[in-house]
Amino acid sequence: MSDAHPDPVEPTPAHQRENPEPHEQQHFPSLLLLFLCSVLVFSSALYLQRYSGNFDPLVYNEEVQGTGVAAGSGAAAAADPVVVGKKLYVQNCVTCHQATGQGLPGTYPPLAGSDWVVGNEEAIIRILIHGLTGPVKVSGMDYGSAAMPAFGPLGSNWKDEKIAHVLTYIRQEWGNKAPPVTPETVARVRAATANRGKAWTAPELAEFHESK
Amino acid sequence: MSSADSSLAASLKPGPAEATAERALLSEIDVSTRRPVFFFLCAALVWLLAGTAFALIASFKLHNPAFLGQAEWLTFGNVRTAHLNSVVYGWATNAAFAVAIWLMARLSRAQLRHLGILDVAGLFWNVGVAIGVVGILRGDSTSIEWLEFPAYATPVLFVAYALIGLWAIITFRFRQPGHVYVSQWYLLAALFWFPWLYSIAQIMLVFAPARGAVQPLVNWWFAHNVLGLWFTPIGLASIYYFLPKVLGKPIHSYYLSALGFWSLALFYNWAGVHHLIGGPEPAWVITAGIVASLLMVIPVVATGINHHVTMVGSFGRLKDSPTLRFIVFGGVSYTLTSLIGSAMAVRSFNELAHFTHFTVAHAHHGLYAFFTMVMFGAIYYMMPRLTGREWPSAPLISVHFWFCAVGITIYVVGLKIGGLIQGWEMIATTTDPQTGEVALRVPLFLDIVKHTLPYLVSRSLAGVMITIGHLAFAVHFVWMLLQPRAVAGTQPVRLSPDAALPASRA
Repeated sequence: MSDAHPDPVEPTPAHQRENPEPHEQQHFPSLLLLFLCSVLVFSSALYLQRYSGNFDPLVYNEEVQGTGVAAGSGAAAAADPVVVGKKLYVQNCVTCHQATGQGLPGTYPPLAGSDWVVGNEEAIIRILIHGLTGPVKVSGMDYGSAAMPAFGPLGSNWKDEKIAHVLTYIRQEWGNKAPPVTPETVARVRAATANRGKAWTAPELAEFHESK
Repeated sequence: MSSADSSLAASLKPGPAEATAERALLSEIDVSTRRPVFFFLCAALVWLLAGTAFALIASFKLHNPAFLGQAEWLTFGNVRTAHLNSVVYGWATNAAFAVAIWLMARLSRAQLRHLGILDVAGLFWNVGVAIGVVGILRGDSTSIEWLEFPAYATPVLFVAYALIGLWAIITFRFRQPGHVYVSQWYLLAALFWFPWLYSIAQIMLVFAPARGAVQPLVNWWFAHNVLGLWFTPIGLASIYYFLPKVLGKPIHSYYLSALGFWSLALFYNWAGVHHLIGGPEPAWVITAGIVASLLMVIPVVATGINHHVTMVGSFGRLKDSPTLRFIVFGGVSYTLTSLIGSAMAVRSFNELAHFTHFTVAHAHHGLYAFFTMVMFGAIYYMMPRLTGREWPSAPLISVHFWFCAVGITIYVVGLKIGGLIQGWEMIATTTDPQTGEVALRVPLFLDIVKHTLPYLVSRSLAGVMITIGHLAFAVHFVWMLLQPRAVAGTQPVRLSPDAALPASRA
């Protein structure tokens, strides 16, 4: 099965004078060397633990230490609310309100150009936290066959940041030009409506909606 | 072989019948490897000369920008990249193939099988490198460091490499039973690691690029591992073979060999990440890379001690054996460059040395002072056995050794000093005399360039010396092949004829 080399080969002069093939002795390395290697491994492990940024993929500063450094808090770069908001919107809202923000006529109200969206933020924060049910008039059209689900404690239980981000996104997309919603405002509204156990209806929110 | 018997005299003169049989066997194995090994060596030599020429042009341009300034194909960006790729994939890899094939066959005690695989692989590899280098000179290079070959050159290279990897496994599979010598561990690992690195890097960086933080990670994982998991194992395999072979002494310790091999395999893979210190990567990834770089001290020290203790008592042999001289120079350089490399991974030192000429000097310290010198030593040993002719001229070997050794020393020392100056000036701070406020001194780019100029000139000088050394080597190589066999003596070339030493076995 090997390529044929039929002729016996005359060793070259170099072959005739060469030493036997090498081998190894079995000397055991000095214990001092092994000890020093162990010290190096141990101190490297300490260094890794100290400068690992808690093994958090969002921590870029090796000086950060201690447990409980959550992604998004201080150590990590602050996220752009519009970018995060868009991601949340795509994951949670497009099914009804559509990527264009136009909704479906007669069923799901539009967000683009909606007076509810770009109006007083008090109303949409409440709608996001607890949901909305019953008839509602948006940009002059009547809706009401579908209910808006709650994203607060009655529903998906989002934190203030997520609610603020997605609201900021819809208030600034599709030509909407309303100021951003801050997590602090959401927190205030959440505290003020802490006792509410069901979705809002449009008349209940009329005071905020009409006071824009 | 007489593995238990470690006395020097016995190793030098094993039982006559046994020794004769072994020499006849080795001789037959060498003959079976002649065609592919010889092809790879010739290709390596051609690329060495081409790569050296590119290097000289690039080096001159750094202190004399008008040099060849009108030649479109030879802009600094093209010619530096062509240099890197022709020495790495042309010279060093071809030489590594030749040495790996020759050593693998010898150590497996198996005649070479399936020469056709190697013929095709050798042809593909060198056509691929040629297409790639021409592509770079045309301006088609990618922007990925160490993978600058345009995408149309790389599939050929990968096919070539896969064939060689396959061949190595076949050869190893048909080895004679018995102890697997340390050189074989390194060879087999290297031939397995490189296609892995190369294919993954090609896919993740060129054909379907990874995005974001992953991309530079893959890039430096690849680029650093080409040195550490391809050239380093081949270089170490060569030292582990030629050092005891020339000396006629066994390697000091099997355990140190094992420690060095496994710790290299374990730690090196991570080390490349230290190139991204300060970059946009999660802190833990960078820290893990630094830790791995520091832990590289273990394989380096273990291997260094193993080689040094083997060598102790035989330093006189450096006087007359060309192989030993190059191999020992390479081995010492390996220890030095690796320890400096570990230091360069530490954050505080990296801040100073990174993105300066210091890194360039370090790269040449590793790939030239270590790897290339070891390959030269190996070639001096292999050629008489492949061709049946002796090296015709001791003075030419001396010229080769001294010009290359002194040249690379000037190169490394000069450029490291220049790099440190450059680094210090870039991170220098000033204190406001009134407010006592410390601020980064905004460096004037041109001032820094001027301050590094003497060191760039010293680099060109070193380059000229190295070129002379390479030309001496090339002339000697061709002379050896062209001399009539009748004229070729049967006496080994000796660098120091009057040294009172045993006849050289180089």
